[in-house]
Amino acid sequence: MEVLSPDGIMALCKDLKMEHTDIRILMLAWKLKAAKLGYFTQDEWKTGLKTLQADTLTKLKKAVAELEKEVNTPPNFLEFYSFAFRYHLTEEKQKNIDIETSCELLNLILGSKYHSQVDLLIDYLKIQSDYKVINLDQWVSFLRFFKEISFPDLQNYDDTQAWPLILDSFVEWLKEKS
Amino acid sequence: MALGGVSVEKCYVSSCPVVEESLSDQIQGVMVSKEEQITGNLSRIESVSVVNKEVPEGILNLFLYERKVSSGISCNDGNVLVMEDNLVLKRDGCSGFEISDDRSSVGKVKGDDCFEFVAVGGVSSFSSEGDLSSIQSVESNEFRQNYLDRTRFSVIPMSNQKKRNFQIEAFKHRVVVDPKYADKTWKILEHAIHEIYNHNASGLSFEELYSEFCGDEGGVSYDIVMSYFGAISVMITHIMDFEMILCVVRWCVVCSVVVIRVYQITVSSLCCEWNAYNMVLHKFGEKLYKGLVHTMTLHLIEISKSIEAAQGSLFLEELNRKWNDHNKALQMIRDILMYMDRTYIPSTHKTPVHELGLNLWRDNIIHSEKIQTRLLNTLLGLVYRERTGEVINRGLMRNIIKMLMDLGSSVYQEDFEKPFLEVSSEFYKGESQTFIECCDCGEYLKKAERRLNEEMERVTHYLDAKSETKITNVVEKEMIANHMLRLVHMENSGLVNMLLDDRYEDLGRMYNLFRRVPNGLSSIREVMTSHLRETGKQLVTDPERLKDPVEFVQRLLDEKDKYDNIISSAFNNDKTFQNALNSSFEFFINLNPRSPEFISLFVDDKLRKGLKGVSEEDIESILDKVMMLFRYLQEKDVFEKYYKQHLAKRLLSGKTVSDDAERSLIVKLKTECGYQFTSKLEGMFTDMKTSQDTMQDFYANHPELGDSRTLVVQVLTTGSWPTQPSVTCNLPAEMSALCEKFRSFYLGTHTGRRLSWQTNMGTADIKAIFGKGQKHELNVSTYQMCVLMLFNNADRLSYKEIEQATGIPASDLKRCLQSLACVKGKNVLRKEPMSKDIGEDDAFFVNDKFSSKFYKVKIGTVVAQKESEPEKQETRQRVEEDRKPQIEAAIVRIMKSRRVLDHNNIITEVTKQLQSRFLANPTEIKKRIESLIERDFLERDNVDRKLYRYLA
Repeated sequence: MEVLSPDGIMALCKDLKMEHTDIRILMLAWKLKAAKLGYFTQDEWKTGLKTLQADTLTKLKKAVAELEKEVNTPPNFLEFYSFAFRYHLTEEKQKNIDIETSCELLNLILGSKYHSQVDLLIDYLKIQSDYKVINLDQWVSFLRFFKEISFPDLQNYDDTQAWPLILDSFVEWLKEKS
Repeated sequence: MALGGVSVEKCYVSSCPVVEESLSDQIQGVMVSKEEQITGNLSRIESVSVVNKEVPEGILNLFLYERKVSSGISCNDGNVLVMEDNLVLKRDGCSGFEISDDRSSVGKVKGDDCFEFVAVGGVSSFSSEGDLSSIQSVESNEFRQNYLDRTRFSVIPMSNQKKRNFQIEAFKHRVVVDPKYADKTWKILEHAIHEIYNHNASGLSFEELYSEFCGDEGGVSYDIVMSYFGAISVMITHIMDFEMILCVVRWCVVCSVVVIRVYQITVSSLCCEWNAYNMVLHKFGEKLYKGLVHTMTLHLIEISKSIEAAQGSLFLEELNRKWNDHNKALQMIRDILMYMDRTYIPSTHKTPVHELGLNLWRDNIIHSEKIQTRLLNTLLGLVYRERTGEVINRGLMRNIIKMLMDLGSSVYQEDFEKPFLEVSSEFYKGESQTFIECCDCGEYLKKAERRLNEEMERVTHYLDAKSETKITNVVEKEMIANHMLRLVHMENSGLVNMLLDDRYEDLGRMYNLFRRVPNGLSSIREVMTSHLRETGKQLVTDPERLKDPVEFVQRLLDEKDKYDNIISSAFNNDKTFQNALNSSFEFFINLNPRSPEFISLFVDDKLRKGLKGVSEEDIESILDKVMMLFRYLQEKDVFEKYYKQHLAKRLLSGKTVSDDAERSLIVKLKTECGYQFTSKLEGMFTDMKTSQDTMQDFYANHPELGDSRTLVVQVLTTGSWPTQPSVTCNLPAEMSALCEKFRSFYLGTHTGRRLSWQTNMGTADIKAIFGKGQKHELNVSTYQMCVLMLFNNADRLSYKEIEQATGIPASDLKRCLQSLACVKGKNVLRKEPMSKDIGEDDAFFVNDKFSSKFYKVKIGTVVAQKESEPEKQETRQRVEEDRKPQIEAAIVRIMKSRRVLDHNNIITEVTKQLQSRFLANPTEIKKRIESLIERDFLERDNVDRKLYRYLA
């Protein structure tokens, strides 16, 4: 089966004049419904580009630029955000992503939106020793936390609600720090 | 006597409702008189009409007069009228009333507006118990004249026919009213009142008073006689109709009937009454009433003067005497003014005579300037004197107080009770202040209790019963409530000291007094609770105490006993105190994480040796007490862990003293925590039993092994026992051959099983002969046995050699060598160099000089009874691990039934479900929830952050 390998993707990035770590490449992968990190299968590519209506590089460039808007609508964004997590699960039955990758992803996806919170969360994740990996539940909760909890006062955070423990600890850490 | 032939002069039927106090001109009900005479036999009464077919509820009187005697009268309860002479008037279905005697029907009452008596059959005779002979001698005409003249009632229907109210108009007297009649009559009455007050009532001129009443027929019996018919007595008792009474009185006088029952109305007063009656009748009521007020007031002013004049203690006595006189007088005055009291007064809304008398007494005596304050001061002075220990005349006191009460509750309250309470409050305020400064708590309470009892006694002796709560409230407030906290916390004698010294009596007193005031008991409870918690905390955290677990638990039990006794003997077994005790114990027992272990060790100690020679009941009671402590434990699973370990040791070493006691405790645990909690413990007992059978079979199958049972195997079910994976050591050749035999035997009958030898848990008895021929039986562990057996073939063995030959793990080997070589009196081995600890380079010899006064020598392994720190950590960790699946199972159970639940409720429910085993940590529950989310058992709700959903 024809597959666009990591090398091919690097080349694509070059043509699109983007870094391969650019969030837009991740968005493209989401649009293509790519299943495996670093690879686009021929099917994914064909159907994806068809929906993007891009049959030339220029059109693709334009479409990728448009993608950013599409992703940033609320339902799409949540989908994209969870996709980003699943996309990075490379092994069979893998359910967690290591802290390191999680932090990079957080920064990539949410860094611009929730700058200060994300920075603090990343700081915390790197300091703490209770968790070595992040699961989908925690991942999704991070976004929810950023969206719903007022910052930096954290006034509407209630640890008797159903937040994952990792966020309880994070909030505690924040409070201790200040 | 037969009445059959007596002619009936007159039938007279009357009915009337319950006589009311305010009976006035109007009587609801009916009085009927039939104009024409009815002659003939009673059985032939034909037309006696009864107006008002609806017989009013209540008393209904029916008089059948024949000749001059009413032959029947009855009171009824609505349906049945019992008449004299066994005649019964009863409701007869729907048609009306039936008159019958016990034999036959006499008549029927029926009709719409009128009842008619219709004779049915004859009554030949009916007897009566009274004696009519004297009556018979009176001419009936004479009676008729006297009677009928005076008593002609006319019945005039009220305007509203439906109500069937009838007005009885007074009989028109023939007496021509003398213009000076009123003055004349009043003079007579006034004189009577004077005489009454002057105690001359009996000397009232009967003739004079009576002449107005009886005319020329005086000089007859003064007593009103009720001879023949109870009817008349009923009538008079109820005084339903004044005219009727007068008729009867007159009639009785005329007849001069033999006295059978004397009624307590003297004719003289009746004569006065007659005068009063006439005055009222002739519209001189106003004059009569005013005259009465005036005359009484005059007398009372006189009386008040004589009371004022009484000196010192005579004052109350005089007051009391005058009061009694006044009461008697009042009674008589009321009697003679009865008619006014009943007719004139209600209709003009004036104060009735008796009440008037009381009011006048109140205003002229009690509230008179010179008496009011003096009376109050005298009374309060007496109370004060009694409080300070003097004896006072309680009877007099009671009479005076009773007088105040008779004058109306407001008089009692205003003129006595209120100031009494105020003065008492002052008194007790002062006294309690003195007491609290100079008494200790117990003494103070005793005094307060005595005061309280005194006040209650005072109330029963001479005060209104309603005053009891009021005065006790005063004492409670002043003596208890106001000093409550100071008492409870009093230094050296307060509640804490009482508790420490088990002063049941003082505690009981405090309880009984404090329960009377608001927050009293709660303040006792609070102090007790904080004291308990404080001492309990010290007890369980004192490092000294932790050295001996058995002592530790014994102290807890003693403490519990102590407070149980206090609560049962001093605090009335108060539930709230029991709860406070329980919660305090729960609080401090769990402060020490080792409590579960220690409680298990305590049980272990008791079941190993402590229960020898103790009766069954005592064992039960000890176990019950232990269970009580167990109940307080939050971490029951930790207890279970230790209990299992300790039980395993007891069972395997055969050290258990009483199988019954063991099982009894298991049953208790089962009742407390359910089947699941003890199933493994029970499994251990089953294994022991099965093993016995298995061994029997084994030796039966191997007769060549003879009777000496060298090997005893206990087959333990994995999971039921606290086994740890351990290396099987190298057994001596004799043993391992036997073990092999057993293995093949066992696996032969139980295919598919796996046997692994737990050599670390076994014991052995070995016979040894030492250098000088001293024989001993050594009771050792399996490891020690393996070590000792090596010396059969060697004189000297180095540590390394032993370790290699036996394969016992180093830490265990060191401990077992230590107990063989280093414990004085049990050192069957000798070690070089001599030292307390085992080194890797040590060498061992048989101790030829070993001696012991016992044949059997038990060589224990040097093991800490209590767990060491790392062991403790390990147990802790195992417990934590065991909890995880239990928490998860609880979460899943709850979510499966609830489908959607918020976070707080999950935590609460999980905690609740698990609390019979341990106190689940909320963080741990949260972790388990997250783990379940990860495994897709649950998910978070997309919208409501608080909720979890169950996924299935």
